[in-house]
Amino acid sequence: MDTKFKFFLLIFIFSRTFLFSQQQFKFEKGLFFSEVKKKSLSFESNSSFNKISDFFFHKKWDSIIIYSPKELNKSNQNNVVKDYIHFFRAFSFKQKKILGEAKKEFNSIDPKFHFYYAVKMFLGEIALEQSKFQEAIPYFKELVQLPEEYYVHIKKSTILYNLGLCYLHTNQFSKSEPHLIKSVKLYKENRDTLELIGSYGSLASLYYEQYKDSLAITYFEKAYFLSKKIKTIEEKKILNPILLNLNKKKFDLKKDAAKNMAVVEENKKNYQRALIFRKEMEQWIDSLNDQNRIYEVAKKEKEFAVAAKQKEVTLLETENKLKEAQRNSFIYVAGVLLILLLTSIYFYREKVIRNKIIATQKENLDTLNATKDKLFSIVSHDLRSSVNALKNSNTTLLDNLALKNIDALDSLLKKNSTIVNGAYGLLDNLLNWALLQTNGGYFHIESLHLFVIAKHVAYNYKPFILQKEIIFENLISKKDIVFADQESLKIILRNLLDNAIKFSNSNDHIKIYSQNISEEYCDLIIEDTGLGMTESTRLELLKDTTLLHKKEHENVIGTGLGLQLCKSMIKKNNGKFNIESELGKGTKMIVSLPKIFPR
Amino acid sequence: MTNINVLIIEDTPEESDHLIQVLKTNGYTVAGVARNFKEALALFYKVEVDIIVIDIFLNGIPEGITFAETISVVPEASKPFVFLTSSRDRKIFERAKLTQPFSFLMKPFNELEVLYALEMAVEKFYKQRDTFLSDDKDTIISKDHLFIKKGKSLKKVLITAIIFIEVEEKYCNIFVEREKFVILISLTKILKLLNNAIFQRTHRNFIVNVNHITEIILADNLILLTNNYKATLSDRYKDIVKKVRTLK
Repeated sequence: MDTKFKFFLLIFIFSRTFLFSQQQFKFEKGLFFSEVKKKSLSFESNSSFNKISDFFFHKKWDSIIIYSPKELNKSNQNNVVKDYIHFFRAFSFKQKKILGEAKKEFNSIDPKFHFYYAVKMFLGEIALEQSKFQEAIPYFKELVQLPEEYYVHIKKSTILYNLGLCYLHTNQFSKSEPHLIKSVKLYKENRDTLELIGSYGSLASLYYEQYKDSLAITYFEKAYFLSKKIKTIEEKKILNPILLNLNKKKFDLKKDAAKNMAVVEENKKNYQRALIFRKEMEQWIDSLNDQNRIYEVAKKEKEFAVAAKQKEVTLLETENKLKEAQRNSFIYVAGVLLILLLTSIYFYREKVIRNKIIATQKENLDTLNATKDKLFSIVSHDLRSSVNALKNSNTTLLDNLALKNIDALDSLLKKNSTIVNGAYGLLDNLLNWALLQTNGGYFHIESLHLFVIAKHVAYNYKPFILQKEIIFENLISKKDIVFADQESLKIILRNLLDNAIKFSNSNDHIKIYSQNISEEYCDLIIEDTGLGMTESTRLELLKDTTLLHKKEHENVIGTGLGLQLCKSMIKKNNGKFNIESELGKGTKMIVSLPKIFPR
Repeated sequence: MTNINVLIIEDTPEESDHLIQVLKTNGYTVAGVARNFKEALALFYKVEVDIIVIDIFLNGIPEGITFAETISVVPEASKPFVFLTSSRDRKIFERAKLTQPFSFLMKPFNELEVLYALEMAVEKFYKQRDTFLSDDKDTIISKDHLFIKKGKSLKKVLITAIIFIEVEEKYCNIFVEREKFVILISLTKILKLLNNAIFQRTHRNFIVNVNHITEIILADNLILLTNNYKATLSDRYKDIVKKVRTLK
């Protein structure tokens, strides 16, 4: 009885592992999964539900367990959707061997669920795994009675076998036998060698239990010989866990078959044969252990490899980080350098511009300086010759005085006076020029009586006009009023009158008169019938920049300073200046001054 | 009609001599020549002065401006003045300009410029501009005097000495004790500028100094004045009788 019980236990363990692995293996073929997925998606386009069914398809059990409660808690959830979620959850729990939870989930699925037959099968399997055989029987019984079309995803042979097994465990031998025989037949048809061995074993143990030893021994032997035929993988390293499990199962089958044979022989008191079977069994155990060890070693090796790889990856990462840091610093340095470059370019450009300005200014200054130098040289030369003439004249004067030549004195003194007047005018212009340049002179625009000013200026020239026998007329209207600075107007008039006298000969006419052609300006005209000038000289004189001009009449003293001063003064008084002249016929100097107060 | 008295403040004798010569030639009287600020002040309060010619720089410092500023403090005592300078320095001019009224004479000057500057000073001072240059005016009336342009020169007449004025179109005949002269001035202007407590209109053409009235003969419409001058009294102006104090 002791051995019998042992044997029974053996079978029980044997069947159970066998059964379980068989189920799992079948469902991983995927046909059922895709079917479920397709079905579930056909009526629901909810994204989170899609995610869950996606997880189911990709066998991510943990993700399903985590995400599904949220979906279930949604109040507006469709019942069918809920069933699917329960189904996914239950299946996941079952895969994770949390059988209690799995059972609970399966039970909460509505019987109208499309895959309810699968639910029943899973419930039966769970009951079987929990050794609740009585509970399992109704499930399997129902499944056996299903029409043939349901056996696309589940094997009828397995159900029959499981039912038979349940009956066997509940000692209902008469009910068990036909089911097991049917399953053997189906297995044979389907050439499921592994399952067939299990069925043979179960059938043998059934007979053994009923003390039909001869029948039992036949089946045990059948199982043994079949197991002998199973090829196990002898490869040292099996890294695929599925393959490894399959191999282990095969070893287990061989071991169990051998053990069963050993027990049978032992019961027959044939100890020698029993020993042989025992040894064989041990060999299979060793193989199994070897396999396990090899697997462990392989796993360790793999872990090492992974660790090495990880290390390499970390190294590479660090390297990358370093490189990145280097690159970043390169970029920063480049940026800083670029900014520096741009700044220096900017400053260089500024410098160049400034230099250019300075160069232009220098050029201007040089020109001005050259002009000024020339001016000074001419002025000083003119002054020197004037003073020298005066000196000589004075010597002659003294000589004549010594000789009491009174008649000569008069003309000599007049000559001296002329020289001094010329020199004085030159000096005066020089002073006014300087004041104009430094803007240091008093300048106040007010209403002026043109006639009075002209009269005052002309008064100084009376002696020269008389001496040169020039006919002079001041024909300005007493009513003419202009807006100008009094002193600068006097300077303008003085110079223009001086020029007119200078370039006139005896019996020439000089007229000063005014014209009121425009609304804004009063034209003051100084007209002489003197030497006149060429067109080129006229244009030269009217030029803004020319300070010195080529002298047409070399015998007449002049620097051009006077006219330049006039032009500047007129400009400052907001006036205009023009010359009309014809060589040999005379000149008209036209000064236009504002009649209304300039703003 | 008497000469205008000019006070000269000038430190350089050559310059002042030249100025004196010009002034004397043109019928002005030189009231005195001061060489510095102190002398100038002393002379100004001592002698009768109508116009002052001030050199800005006295012994190198712009004391001339200081003098002008000093006399301008009391407007009633102030007199017309002309700045005389050879400097065209702007800063000096800006300072001088603050002493209103402002007229100046630049050195070197000629006769015409001097006379013009003096006339301008009087015009500006008594605020009767464009008088001497116009064709229809030649007289400026101050509180005490008439300044009349006679040829190139300026003359003055003490207003209290005027016995009566006879208007003749745009001329006015001014009668003083021993002489009579014609000035160019409009009747309205002369009436406006003369003190109307003293000068009363007696006729369309007569203005009489009430202080010179000796007798009014209403029957003949005659007013007898000092020096046996006679003025006509028209009916329209007979109210004058009430205003004249009689000896009766």
